[in-house]
Amino acid sequence: MRETVFDVFARKERGEPLTHIGYVDAMDAELARVYAWKTYDEQNWFEMCIVPRAQIIPVNRTDGPFAANALESSLTGTGGAA
Amino acid sequence: MSASVSVADLDDRTRAALRRHLLALADSKRLLGLRYSDWLLGAPSIETGIAASSMAQDEWGHARLLYAMLKDFDEDPSAVEHDRPREAYANVPVLDTPFSDWAGFVVAAVVVDGALSVALEGFAEGRYESARARVPKMLSEEAFHRDLGLAWLKRLANGTDEARARIREAARFALPATLAWLAPDDDAHAALVEAHLTAPAGALLQRFRDRVGGALEAAGIEIPAPDTREWDAARGRGPGAPEQEVVERARGDLNRALLVE
Repeated sequence: MRETVFDVFARKERGEPLTHIGYVDAMDAELARVYAWKTYDEQNWFEMCIVPRAQIIPVNRTDGPFAANALESSLTGTGGAA
Repeated sequence: MSASVSVADLDDRTRAALRRHLLALADSKRLLGLRYSDWLLGAPSIETGIAASSMAQDEWGHARLLYAMLKDFDEDPSAVEHDRPREAYANVPVLDTPFSDWAGFVVAAVVVDGALSVALEGFAEGRYESARARVPKMLSEEAFHRDLGLAWLKRLANGTDEARARIREAARFALPATLAWLAPDDDAHAALVEAHLTAPAGALLQRFRDRVGGALEAAGIEIPAPDTREWDAARGRGPGAPEQEVVERARGDLNRALLVE
């Protein structure tokens, strides 16, 4: 059973910035949205979204959870990674 | 929207029918929650186990709210929750025994939870004031149960031959008695319909087909006719009763044994 990592973002109020609150492993997006809601339902969220981790492109870092998706340009230093 | 009614507005026949309906819904919710909770540690992934746990909590919360409506009948919900024998339970019959396997869980989330949602929609759209006030919140939580069930149903249907065989077997077991429970063809249900407290049996069955029929068909599962053999009109379900062990858990016998007077 191959699973994908989906990062979970949410906000409590309209107008607040979306905050990264965690992640879930799931076989597809349909299951991921249910898992996300059921895993992080301790808050009364106004909005929750999920993003496949493989789709998140780091802008200024070449380390961390999104490093595998770094573009060539960030690896050559245009992003100013520390 | 038509005016709401309270229990005091109803004749004896309709009151008895409404009480039966409440117990059928509440008992099903309570046992479904228990069956879901059995999979907290045995689900295919940690995330699925967490979802099963959350769904179990939802079902128990809904059951508590439905039992509480018995106060409208000047009845103590605690006695109904904790003191009835298993033969008095009015739950969907498929919940009498544990789910056979994960396919049983998935089919229950689609078929049993789906039937419960359709029954609750009919109840919330009726004139009973307590249902109008309390059921819509339950239905908003139920949407994720259906989504989990349908997503897993599709997964299993597109999986191995064994997975397909198991979901079809679980559906063959679950559907006929669940549909009879959802849409009783008897005088009590007729009384509820006449008083506009729920929808006619045919409309409930059609709504169920509209809601999950396509997903079941895609999984190679046809919706059969309701199985009304040995219909128990007192409880509004087919024959049988939940296992003693699950009723003891539903009543909380062990927890209550620890209470010090």
